[in-house]
Amino acid sequence: MIENREMRDKLRKWREENCRNSEQIVDVGEELISEHASKLGDDIWIIYEQVMIAALDCSRDDLALTCLQELEKQFSDSHRVKRLSGMRLEALERYDEANKDYDAILQDDPTNTAARKRKISILKAQGKSAEAIRELNEYLEQFVGDQEAWHELSELYINEHDYGKAAFCLEELMMTNPHNHLYCEQYAEVKYTQGGLENLELSRKYFAQALRLNNRNMRALFGLYMSASHIAASPKVSAKVKKDNMKYAAWAATQINRAYKYTDTLKRHIVHLGGHAEAAMKQYPLPVFDSGWLVAGPRRTNAP
Amino acid sequence: MGEVELSCRAYVKMYLHCCLFPRCSINGLLLSSSTAGDAVCVTDCVPLLHSHLSLAPITQLALTQVDVWCSQTQQRIVGYYQANACVSDSSPTPCALKIADKISEQFENAVLLMLDGSKMSADYRVPPIVMYERKDSRWTLKDKHTIMLRQWEETRAIAGQMLDSGDHSLLVDFDSHLDDITKDWTNQKLNNKIAELASPANGSM
Repeated sequence: MIENREMRDKLRKWREENCRNSEQIVDVGEELISEHASKLGDDIWIIYEQVMIAALDCSRDDLALTCLQELEKQFSDSHRVKRLSGMRLEALERYDEANKDYDAILQDDPTNTAARKRKISILKAQGKSAEAIRELNEYLEQFVGDQEAWHELSELYINEHDYGKAAFCLEELMMTNPHNHLYCEQYAEVKYTQGGLENLELSRKYFAQALRLNNRNMRALFGLYMSASHIAASPKVSAKVKKDNMKYAAWAATQINRAYKYTDTLKRHIVHLGGHAEAAMKQYPLPVFDSGWLVAGPRRTNAP
Repeated sequence: MGEVELSCRAYVKMYLHCCLFPRCSINGLLLSSSTAGDAVCVTDCVPLLHSHLSLAPITQLALTQVDVWCSQTQQRIVGYYQANACVSDSSPTPCALKIADKISEQFENAVLLMLDGSKMSADYRVPPIVMYERKDSRWTLKDKHTIMLRQWEETRAIAGQMLDSGDHSLLVDFDSHLDDITKDWTNQKLNNKIAELASPANGSM
């Protein structure tokens, strides 16, 4: 009895957090369904749905089909189940048939966002990025508050190296989620990648903002160090800007060293290196932030 | 251009990296601890990212950190590997070419290795890799006969065994390290496990 409850709670938690730990879901879900189906009450349908999607993700078509058939028996005309049927076809790479399913749903209900998103996912799976981007943009004109879609679009743009448009998507996300440190940090990374003094200064500001929201975000901390160092090293900045950025960089460097000291990772590495311990300790303050890879051109010409 | 040899340790870690993040594009660096002549001997690899491969900051950071570690451990960066999320397309992306270019600035005989997801099913017999080398400023396909994997059958067996026993969850890439800096991106634990599996005869006394 206890086991049953535990498993159900786990599945619920994963549903609520939208985790994609499909292997675990299949493990727990399959057992729950086969051993305890009668005790699940109405919960069973949502569990079938969850397990089915996870099963597709793990290429467990047998399990997916079982779940789908149970759902189809119970909810014969449901759009929600039809979408699941479409997803199964997608997993089997039968994209044309899947699209037919989704088009049928949309004809019945043009506002069905799930079907539209599946169609866009198919374009992505087929490598048709430009079309996926176009469709997603159209979708967002209608459903401007869909966070998941904005984030998906930013990812698509990043893959296409269209950083300006990726930044725009992240700006939308930051506006509606001002406390989310991850969006700030991603935005900063995009700006940094775009390069140029203005973008670097923006990236530094947003790395700093991400840190304000979450002072343990290591990417933001490193990002702050790197962007500030770059700015300080630029010949185009005033002496004051140079000085300020060197201060920011130094601050970030101290925080980084502190973080590593407390984790003991450093010591482990040095111990592994054997006799070089002392020298490495002295050197470590910031050898990694030597300009070598940050600035174009080789740093060393001699082999180790 | 010379021969390239891929060690068991390097191959297994790349393979486990792919298995740990089957839905993402992943990449990493290829390292060598030997400086012998013309042949490039890839003795190890460092898994780097599983998200936003084309964004600069973390890539630059990782390259710098690995570079320093290499200089302290008598290794050097000799190549780059990547596996695309989209299984049907194993061609190098612009970002792969860019990073490989950067590596070849420091090491003339650098290699670019793409893992072919479509060939990674349990019954594959051939190494699921495609290698490129730099000729006349372009990355061209390397002649298969110049790529060597010593004891391929044994390597393949070890990779499969570690996947089955869930060891891929032990692998730490640079991305994971940034999420939790107590995790070791040099993967010493995994290296030891691989070494154990590779030589049971010489093993424990």
